Amino acid sequence: MSNRSLKLAFAARLQVSDTVWAAIFLLPALVIFSIVIVYPMLYSAWLSLFEWDGVTPIKTFVGIDNYTTLFTANRVFWIALKNSILWTVVALTGPTSLGLALALVLNRKFAGRGFFRSVFYFPAILSMSIVGLIWTWVYHPTLGMLNQLLGWMGQPSLQHAWLSEPSIALFCVMIAAAWHNAGLPMLLFLAGLQTIPPEVLEAADLDGASRFQRFRLVIFPMLRETTFVIVAITFINSLKVYDIIYVMTYGGPANQTQVLGTWMYFLTYNFNRIGLGTAIAMVLFALTLIFAIPYTRKLSKD
Amino acid sequence: MTTNALSTRISLSHVQPGDTARRLRTFVFYAVLTISAIIWIAPVYLLVSTAFKSALDFSTNGALSLPSRVEWGNFAKAWDAGIKTYFFNSLIMTVIKVPVGVVIAAMAAFALSLMNLPRSRLIFGIFLIGLIVPVQMTLVPLTVLLRNIGMIDSLFGLFWIYLGFGLPFGILVLRGFMKAIPRELVEAAFIDGCTWFGVFWRIVLPLSKPAVVSLLIFDGVATWNEFILAQIFLRANTNRTLPLGVVNFQTEFATAYELLAAAQCITIAPLIIVYLVFQRHFVDGLSGSVKS
Repeated sequence: MSNRSLKLAFAARLQVSDTVWAAIFLLPALVIFSIVIVYPMLYSAWLSLFEWDGVTPIKTFVGIDNYTTLFTANRVFWIALKNSILWTVVALTGPTSLGLALALVLNRKFAGRGFFRSVFYFPAILSMSIVGLIWTWVYHPTLGMLNQLLGWMGQPSLQHAWLSEPSIALFCVMIAAAWHNAGLPMLLFLAGLQTIPPEVLEAADLDGASRFQRFRLVIFPMLRETTFVIVAITFINSLKVYDIIYVMTYGGPANQTQVLGTWMYFLTYNFNRIGLGTAIAMVLFALTLIFAIPYTRKLSKD
Repeated sequence: MTTNALSTRISLSHVQPGDTARRLRTFVFYAVLTISAIIWIAPVYLLVSTAFKSALDFSTNGALSLPSRVEWGNFAKAWDAGIKTYFFNSLIMTVIKVPVGVVIAAMAAFALSLMNLPRSRLIFGIFLIGLIVPVQMTLVPLTVLLRNIGMIDSLFGLFWIYLGFGLPFGILVLRGFMKAIPRELVEAAFIDGCTWFGVFWRIVLPLSKPAVVSLLIFDGVATWNEFILAQIFLRANTNRTLPLGVVNFQTEFATAYELLAAAQCITIAPLIIVYLVFQRHFVDGLSGSVKS
């Protein structure tokens, strides 16, 4: 056996043991992740084909009946689906544009910029449940800040029982959520704006571009990547929204503010309809994939 | 003060037409920004000022007024009425789960970026599923699982679930960071007689410190704030974490507004401290997820 082939054999063994070591490093994460995320996803999909109350050991296979029940016989499901879509559309426009506007303003150089950034980002660090509690107070019919402010301004006719009127309750919750959700796009847009080289902006100024033209033709196209990430994250988060609605309206009044996330919870944990609940989770997941697929593809590329 | 006045006078002495316009613009800019900031933070003002009012003060003077007398007692009362338990549950969970989670994520990120692992991109892609899967997809099977192994309604059971949900983001951020570490550095350490574990602990982890710190803070805030999983998997009052406990407080003390406000202030106080001290890392941590 020549020296060279010995070396090669040694290198090969080293390679193998390297791979084994890599597997050892990966193992804890992979095991926990598989048990907590992968296995439950698959099992949920399986359970959505059964009728089960979650307590007794008897599960009855019903095929796609749960899905047909949801789409044809469950009135609240349609409300929840409509609200989830509405919520997503509003979240994609409201807080994101607000975040962009804040980022554009707070990207300018002026004294106190850091302070204002902290103030406007602050609600984003609070949990959605606390945000919900705070805003429940703001909206309180008699003791809340909003109605007291309206009374103080001499506009009692504008006072409402904000969270108990079906026509406005969901929008009131959306405003509370926007207060929390504007921070992330603001931060990401600020980071994106920093990557635009100043020469580009100077060149635009030299060419006589107006402020709006500069934004529309130079800045915004250069924020495309950032915008995509924000849109994807917002989309995914909007569909699974749960805690703020649970805290502020509990799906009410009369189920008018149910979204897919809360209705899944009610069906599963309050009414013991495991099959219907997991079927909603599947619908939720399918909708999420619209943006989740390009998003994860982008993340795994670099 | 005097220098300010002086400089104003000097600049006024040779004022130009464009100057006044600019100064007016600056004034309007700050005025609009300040008013917006006040409106933006008003709900927090409402919360904090209510926490310092007596019940009588709140009911007679309304929500908008300042406390007529600062009432520290609300905090003690809320603390004793149950917030103490919730606070320590949240604290223990955060202090243990976050570092453990970051180390496990860092080990995986190391394997996926600098070690010789076949199909590492595919495995990374599988972890990314965790970033997009709605939590609702996992609730029922996890309930069944925890019930079967006797870990429902236990902080220890919830600990594992938090670990699982935290891993994908941790791996995303840390892998992105570690990929920038030159492989030669790892190989050199290896030739010097380091074991793989030595390379990880003494070289890769210290080099990844900025990402690790950002992640610790980011995950710390997320763990402190987590609601839905805690709500599903914790039942007994003594097991509740803060976000859950405070919501429960709301139903229990429905009309003791000053106590509720104090309880909420206690919940967000640690966040405010962390926010003020580590502000820079909030930005870095999140941007890491975009640029990677």
